[in-house]
Amino acid sequence: MSQETIIGSANKADCRITITASNTLQIEVATKNRELLETGIRAVATKVCSTVGIEKAAIVVEDQGALDYVIAARVEQALRIFSPKQIAPVRPSVDRTRSARDRLRRSRLYAPGNNPRLLVGIDLHEADCVLLDLEDSVPPAEKAAARILVKHLLATVQFSEEVWVRINPLDTYGRDDLTEVLLGRPHGICLPKAESGKDIIEAAEAMTQIEQELGIPIGTTWLMPIIETAKGVLHCEEIAAAHERVVMLAFGAEDFTRDVGAVRTQESLQFARSMVVVGAKAAGVQASDTVFADLEDEEGLIAETREARDLGFDGKGAINPRQIAPIHAVFSPGKQAVEEAKRIVAAAEEAEAKGLGAIASGGKMIDKPVLERARRTLKLAEMAEKGGKW
Amino acid sequence: MKNALGREVPDKLGDRLLEPFQGAFATTPTGQKAARHQKTVRPGENKVLSSITEAIEATGLADGMTISFHHSFRDGDRVVNQVVDACAQMGIADLRLFPTALFPVHEPLIEHIQRGVVTRIEGSMNGPVGAFISQGGKLKTPAVLRSHGGRWRAVEAGDVAIDVAFIAAPQADPYGNATGIRGKTPCGPISFCAVDAAYARKTVVLTNDLAPYPVHPFEIQQGWTDYVVVIDEIGDPESIASGTLQITRSPMRLRIARLAAEAVKASGYFKSGFSFQGGAGGISLAATKFIGEEMAQAGIVGSFAMGGGTKLLVDILRQGLVRVILDGQAFDTEAITSLREDPNHVIFDPGHYANYDSRGCSTYLLDAAFLGATEVDLDFNVNVNTHSDGQLLHGIGGHQDVAAGAKMTAITIPALRGRLPVIVDRVTTVTTPGEVIDVVVTERGIAVNPKREDLRDRFQQAGLPVRELAEMKAEADRLTQPPGKPNFGDEIIALVEWRDGTVIDTVRRVVGWE
Repeated sequence: MSQETIIGSANKADCRITITASNTLQIEVATKNRELLETGIRAVATKVCSTVGIEKAAIVVEDQGALDYVIAARVEQALRIFSPKQIAPVRPSVDRTRSARDRLRRSRLYAPGNNPRLLVGIDLHEADCVLLDLEDSVPPAEKAAARILVKHLLATVQFSEEVWVRINPLDTYGRDDLTEVLLGRPHGICLPKAESGKDIIEAAEAMTQIEQELGIPIGTTWLMPIIETAKGVLHCEEIAAAHERVVMLAFGAEDFTRDVGAVRTQESLQFARSMVVVGAKAAGVQASDTVFADLEDEEGLIAETREARDLGFDGKGAINPRQIAPIHAVFSPGKQAVEEAKRIVAAAEEAEAKGLGAIASGGKMIDKPVLERARRTLKLAEMAEKGGKW
Repeated sequence: MKNALGREVPDKLGDRLLEPFQGAFATTPTGQKAARHQKTVRPGENKVLSSITEAIEATGLADGMTISFHHSFRDGDRVVNQVVDACAQMGIADLRLFPTALFPVHEPLIEHIQRGVVTRIEGSMNGPVGAFISQGGKLKTPAVLRSHGGRWRAVEAGDVAIDVAFIAAPQADPYGNATGIRGKTPCGPISFCAVDAAYARKTVVLTNDLAPYPVHPFEIQQGWTDYVVVIDEIGDPESIASGTLQITRSPMRLRIARLAAEAVKASGYFKSGFSFQGGAGGISLAATKFIGEEMAQAGIVGSFAMGGGTKLLVDILRQGLVRVILDGQAFDTEAITSLREDPNHVIFDPGHYANYDSRGCSTYLLDAAFLGATEVDLDFNVNVNTHSDGQLLHGIGGHQDVAAGAKMTAITIPALRGRLPVIVDRVTTVTTPGEVIDVVVTERGIAVNPKREDLRDRFQQAGLPVRELAEMKAEADRLTQPPGKPNFGDEIIALVEWRDGTVIDTVRRVVGWE
């Protein structure tokens, strides 16, 4: 048993937990607005103790304005380290329905998984996919803290769109990540540095095994492999087709350029981006482009997003909520495209009603891909209308 | 007695009879304004004195009297402490302080309160003095909080008779004309206390830059000034820029600002001749910036914008996006420079823009305004004075005056501050009644006062996320345990006046916790 366990931080929106041995359960709270907040904070800590079955410990919670799920996560982590006997992870009850395989995924917003301040309100920016990150934005010493925090966040916050978790590669912390965060029932898991179909099958099987262990309906969690190495680029189709959990390939330019020794330019990424798009589409899944790192350069973001759209990508990564509106604007069809799509769909419906085999609109023949594209355009437009901007 | 909001308020403050709040525009003033006693200064008479002590003697300041100050140096003010220290040294006690506002820099007043030098305060208290007063039993009578316009009105109406007005003047001439936008340490307009200078029994101008006649603009006029005193230090202009002058970088707060700007755009008021108020505070600044960008994009030229003046507003003026900026306060040096150099950047005072007992207020001509709050309740009532723990920590500023006037008043607030809910069932203190609040914008959406179905329809048509306050509250409440609630005793710490002089609420002493 460690004499003193310290978890969390003194950063804003976080809290620090110190646990020492005691013959009873004592919870002390230090916070700026003590009279207002002490009781609530103690209640959260007490509940975690009773959930994991700890009855003896002296716990100090130093609060910096942490939300309940942050306090619960920090207390759980501290208890798991402190306790001499193995403590089973808290299993929150989560009510989240599976998302549609082909739903719109114009934006995927990254959020660092162990930074409570940046996670506050991450669900409110209307990203089509929020990606809670356990990989690059989390230093090794914080991996455990991050996965527990992300689990509690997933269990508390009702995302109106999709929420994903980017785990670590399976040969590092990935399996532990999965075991913890699947309890929070994300819509999907992003697998970084995917290089082969085997990687995907491994991850999918690990997910199945954990789903089984946890009693979660099997196969209900999607996979998004991230292509960010030379090998990955060359195996895009195989990766995309490897398992039915895969709904989208994402491209990561930073790691890719490092891996091949390239400088990031439009030209140096062209081949890889095309491979990702073509590989994904060959397997019938979506493709999402890399992030645009210069937050201040909105024009650059818009230009790069247009390129991505024109290459065939369905969406793009974002490192800050500010980037979502411009990205959505690019991936949302313009008025003219919507009008055209409406004409095509109307012509098709008319042809069907009349029992005609061939469909024509504006004097042109319409084949099946054109009709499908028109339907997708209308769906995109409807989505952009409904939320999109907000 | 209970006022129109159901808040229990007293009927007397000392000898002064009080009226309960009856509604935002319910009362009609009668009778005459108060006026100053007569006096004449003949050719050749000297007004310049050599020290604060000499001025205090010359004014005949004595126990039990009322002294007033402006707050244009904000947290950099050096005059209030110097004058009260001098009074204490001269053995004067039982003073009533009537500042426009006090700041953390005025913490030394606590000792003067403890020693009985200061026994009453009527004015905004930002920070330590307010926290001290909140403990209860510190003042002879409850403090009185007024809005900018409410304070001006109170002086004109004779609710507060000022014995001596001490006016920090960055530049003054020997004849008593003074301004805040020139001199060695300009702080921006000092016209907030023009009414003090014009109504006080004696008016003393304190300056660190005595310049030859005439010093202009005539914010303080020779006809009002009894004495001019040159002192070493009146204030630190660096401190007028408080921490609230950075545009927020928080994605959540930026979202609030963006939503507020979009709401303005969809409101129907966003057209040529549009006018708005853009104050300090991270969210307001960002909203002001977004609105400027939208105006540029839509090719709209506004009629006027109201400050506090900031670089951001100055930029909007320079880009030709508004014809005129009207400022009663400056929040940075760019605003002060612009006030000096740009004829379309104009000083105005609370009597001009905010006085209920007047023949018109600029705020009544505002299309849109963004204001903050410590709490908002489900009836759209707003608290800016106290925190949820009952501590009195902020003044009203122009909140009531702007909210009462603007066609669309938007409260821009996060639904949670740390763990603390901002949307509550019932605000701890009502500063501004829900009847004059049109929308509340949080990161979770836009709540529209049921009185404004027109705005609700417009927002919905524009695809904005219109929500109920109760929904947004429920979402925020999911993230934190409910906070503790203070139990309030009978002792009244402070009265909050509505801008017409009626009592809208009281601040009571906290005696325990639920």
